[in-house]
Amino acid sequence: MNCLDFRRQLLTDPFCKDVELLAHEAECPSCAPFARDVRAQEIRLRNALQAISAPEGMAERIQLAARFDHRSTVQRRWWYSAAAAVLMTIGVSMVSLLSTSIERGNVALAQSVINHIEDESHHLREVHPVTAGRINRVFERFGAEVAGNLGTVNFAAECLMRDRTGVHLVMPGQMGPITVFFMPGEMTASNLVVDSTRFSGRILPTSWGSIAVVGESGELLDGLGERLAAAVRWPQSTTVESDLFGRGTLFAAGFTQPQDS
Amino acid sequence: MATLRSDFDTLVNALSPELYRYAMGLCHNPATAEDLVQETFLRGWRSRDDLRDTKAARAWLYTILRNEHARLYERQRPEARDPFELPDVPVHGYDTSAEAFVMRRALKRLDTDYRDPLLLQVVGGFSCKEIGRMLDLNTNTVLTRLFRARKALREQLADRPELEATQ
Repeated sequence: MNCLDFRRQLLTDPFCKDVELLAHEAECPSCAPFARDVRAQEIRLRNALQAISAPEGMAERIQLAARFDHRSTVQRRWWYSAAAAVLMTIGVSMVSLLSTSIERGNVALAQSVINHIEDESHHLREVHPVTAGRINRVFERFGAEVAGNLGTVNFAAECLMRDRTGVHLVMPGQMGPITVFFMPGEMTASNLVVDSTRFSGRILPTSWGSIAVVGESGELLDGLGERLAAAVRWPQSTTVESDLFGRGTLFAAGFTQPQDS
Repeated sequence: MATLRSDFDTLVNALSPELYRYAMGLCHNPATAEDLVQETFLRGWRSRDDLRDTKAARAWLYTILRNEHARLYERQRPEARDPFELPDVPVHGYDTSAEAFVMRRALKRLDTDYRDPLLLQVVGGFSCKEIGRMLDLNTNTVLTRLFRARKALREQLADRPELEATQ
């Protein structure tokens, strides 16, 4: 290897371990200091680039954005389906249009609950109870107040359900963890069944929206939804306007974008 | 879906810091760099069926990011062409020493054809063969560009007569 080849190869990879390269460096008095200089500069270059650290919370923001991206895709598909249904039924009657749409909305809400639990199944593994302060802070974001005993809660966070934010709780049950969603603005006319191969539960209507209580199949959930609903007081200023499909839009003090779940 | 989500989250946690460094090397702007990284992962997420091979995913994400930056460069040509653009706010984790400043400025002045393979080698740790595949170049061209990139850097950072003698 001559000096020209040595320097060319060194500049393509300053830390190359090629035997010939190292041998030339060991025996050439002019190339050895050149190699040291090139490597010193390479270290400065790497330091300048490697010292750049990602902004705090960037990974979480990306994960959240992907979650929104997924949901918006799901919602788009739902809207395409709903639009197709409207076009097909508009010639039949406005009554059947409305009832069909409400039914589809209810199915979508129950499925959204299952999807949410499955998407975030890692929360089901939480085993350490969160503090009452933490729970209060989550509800405070909606202007709501925990007025009664919720029982043991192992996970509490604000979350996105379809296009609205709500409160996501995980509590220990007899058969496994129980997931509870407080969904302000999600109006349902009656109890809805939530069912999948693994989970089962109900969505109960309330004056401010609805509450979903879902456990492992076989879990006894009787009365739990009602008890939890009664334990949280929602602000009087909360008003709900229903849309064409019977779903409401929440207007409440302290309404914020989802941060945790 | 839960497994896919979990795999994706793991990928984001593992690769977002180095992709951010790569993005900073390309655009030199913290906000733009974060946007580029986020858009890269979102595109990855939308094509998650192609992301099953996590080893290939890394090179693929670098390629997406480079393409996104190229797209941005086309859209914002006047600003992006300014070689002296610097972060206008102090940024946490950004080395503000004079040495790092000089090095980054030299890097920004490099022609894109030379800077791209250099960043992929230094930040991504990719081999010349891998860089060739990512940039659609043969390995000899990658070697030549790496050589010229470092030579240009040295010329910018200091006068190096001994290097000139080898040309």
